[in-house]
Amino acid sequence: MTPAENGAAPGPILEVVGLTRRFGDRVAVDDVSFSIPPGEIYGLLGPNGAGKTTTIKMVCGLLHPDRGTVRIAGHPAGSLAAKAQVGYVPQDIALYPDLTGRENLRFLGRLFGLGSDLLDERVDEALELTNLGDRAKERLSAYSGGMQRRLNIAAGLLNHPVLLVLDEPTVGVDPQSRHAILERVQTFGQLGMAVVYTTHYMEEAERVCDRVGIVDQGRLVAEGTRRDLVDRLGERDRIELGATGNLDLLASACRDLDGVDGAAVADRHVQLLVHDGRKLLPAVLEAAERTGIRVSSVDVVEPDLEAVFLHLTGTALRD
Amino acid sequence: MAFPALVIAEKDLRQRIRDRSAIILGVVAPLVIAALMSLAFSGTETIHLTLGVVNSDHGAAAAGLVDALRSPALEDLVTVVPETSEAAASAAVRAGHTGAAMVIPPGFTASISGARPLPLTTLTNVNNAPAAQITSSIAQSFVAQVNADRLSVALAVAGGRSPAAASAALAATRPTLPVQTVERAFGAKELKTASYYAPAMAIFFLLFTVSFTSRSFFVDRDQGMLERILAAPVRPISVLLGKVLSAFVFGVASLGIIIAVTTLAFGADWGDPLAAASLSLAMVLAVTVTTALVIVVARTQRQAEGISSFVIFGLALLGGNFVFVSVTPSIMQRLALLTPNGWALRGYTDLATTGGGLAVAVVPIAAILAYTVAAAAVVAVLAPRVLER
Repeated sequence: MTPAENGAAPGPILEVVGLTRRFGDRVAVDDVSFSIPPGEIYGLLGPNGAGKTTTIKMVCGLLHPDRGTVRIAGHPAGSLAAKAQVGYVPQDIALYPDLTGRENLRFLGRLFGLGSDLLDERVDEALELTNLGDRAKERLSAYSGGMQRRLNIAAGLLNHPVLLVLDEPTVGVDPQSRHAILERVQTFGQLGMAVVYTTHYMEEAERVCDRVGIVDQGRLVAEGTRRDLVDRLGERDRIELGATGNLDLLASACRDLDGVDGAAVADRHVQLLVHDGRKLLPAVLEAAERTGIRVSSVDVVEPDLEAVFLHLTGTALRD
Repeated sequence: MAFPALVIAEKDLRQRIRDRSAIILGVVAPLVIAALMSLAFSGTETIHLTLGVVNSDHGAAAAGLVDALRSPALEDLVTVVPETSEAAASAAVRAGHTGAAMVIPPGFTASISGARPLPLTTLTNVNNAPAAQITSSIAQSFVAQVNADRLSVALAVAGGRSPAAASAALAATRPTLPVQTVERAFGAKELKTASYYAPAMAIFFLLFTVSFTSRSFFVDRDQGMLERILAAPVRPISVLLGKVLSAFVFGVASLGIIIAVTTLAFGADWGDPLAAASLSLAMVLAVTVTTALVIVVARTQRQAEGISSFVIFGLALLGGNFVFVSVTPSIMQRLALLTPNGWALRGYTDLATTGGGLAVAVVPIAAILAYTVAAAAVVAVLAPRVLER
């Protein structure tokens, strides 16, 4: 179903302008603006706590912004008209373990006002789309983690949303299920849905998103296609050092080298943003040796979103 | 298109029926406990004492006492069992074969006309307080009568009659014990134990609806279901309405089943059907609104559980769900009328004892609805703030 078929207004499906939300003294979302046309998959990429989930909760009308506006297909976020156009897939599995897959979907579908025949049709369609048709009569508690994730997504498709909001849908999922989910998400864009996809996995954003907004400490620090963002790096490479010991000391030692634009620690690795990685590598290893830290692996990576994030924020995507 | 509140209520009921603990709490437990209570207290409705009597005197006064104990006036209350000795009587009381015993000492009759009458001894078991009370009461009544007789003789002698003539006149009379009075409730019919404990237990377990419904609200919230529901075109108040609607339907079904089963199986008298149904609906409504009150007051699942426990046991203790309110101190009887369940029990009791109709239950129903309206007003004030947080 296309957005036009679903009664959506022409123009952007989602318009977010100057969105701001505080929790006490902490600014969780700070003046965030972006828009998404029909059929586009827009990634919000940032580390945990960057403000992605708070942003999409305001998009879905679950939180009131302190400032700014959100419009969905022309309707203000939080209005019943806007909610009717949104499919929300929360980060955690939000389904009832004591109900069957079909019962869960029927319940959520009825909340969207789907009548009996249409409800059955949509439930079957969502089950088929997520390859869960043959397990529909089993209780959710009998599903594997990956299947629960897929049903969690299926529940967001029942109303044929013009805007699908996926909040870290692959967290805690095995590689096979992750692959299946990402494949499925790509088809949603092809179906004409506008998709907001939050993640802290650079690979996912690169794979499924048409455009990416990089979020750090509540601010949207950059947005564009992968190519737009990577081009901002110029000729920079990313060096990833695997090591044991005081990685902060190693990062600090490398940061002082000429040609190193940024250094950060993430996932027991030191990430370096450098000009001409291969040429700089001997100096990096010497610096490591001076700190007494043994480097166990070295990887020079072509410019990617991880490097962009390091370049823009001075920190790694996964702290 | 179904209203979201109905969709949520239907889903909650489906889950509740599937969850056996709810069925156990809502139907099985009240039936079992009401049956046990009825069994435990059956027999307390009409008290009867088996009294061992050791007559070591065999004189006229002793014979008079035994005859009085066997008189038609006391035959419903006392069955006399002759005992051969104080030791045998004591053993019988200890073994529970008799509820208590009375020992008439040798020379008792002769001592009455003397300066120092011999005492009657009663043997009682601390585990059978009613028997002890009755025996003591009978003995004291007899002693009082003997003392009155001694006074009569003394007055007759002082009035110029010979002591022999006065004693002979007195001996011609038979001792009679005072007529026992039994206090009853004001109703025309006696209240059966089952007719009290069936509604008492039904309401007590109905109160648990407060706990599991409020808990389910916070479980939904903590598991992200509340957000998911609210991301659909559903107003926040619909979630609360759906929850309490499921509590109401479950409460009505639970109470209905208990009324039917206790009436048919235990002979409980719930009174006029229309009045009992109206009273029951009012009580379920009160419990439903109490559930909403707990939801809007609590902030976490743990708080909801704590507040629910306090509400359940507080109301049950004050309202008289565990003991007959009529045997509690007057302050407790007054406090019971501050609770909806206290009024409900009063209503059921009135219906069962008077045999009256809806008019008998009007005041209890009005009191329960007054509580309901007051609680609903608090919910209305707090709900928007709570549901938006």
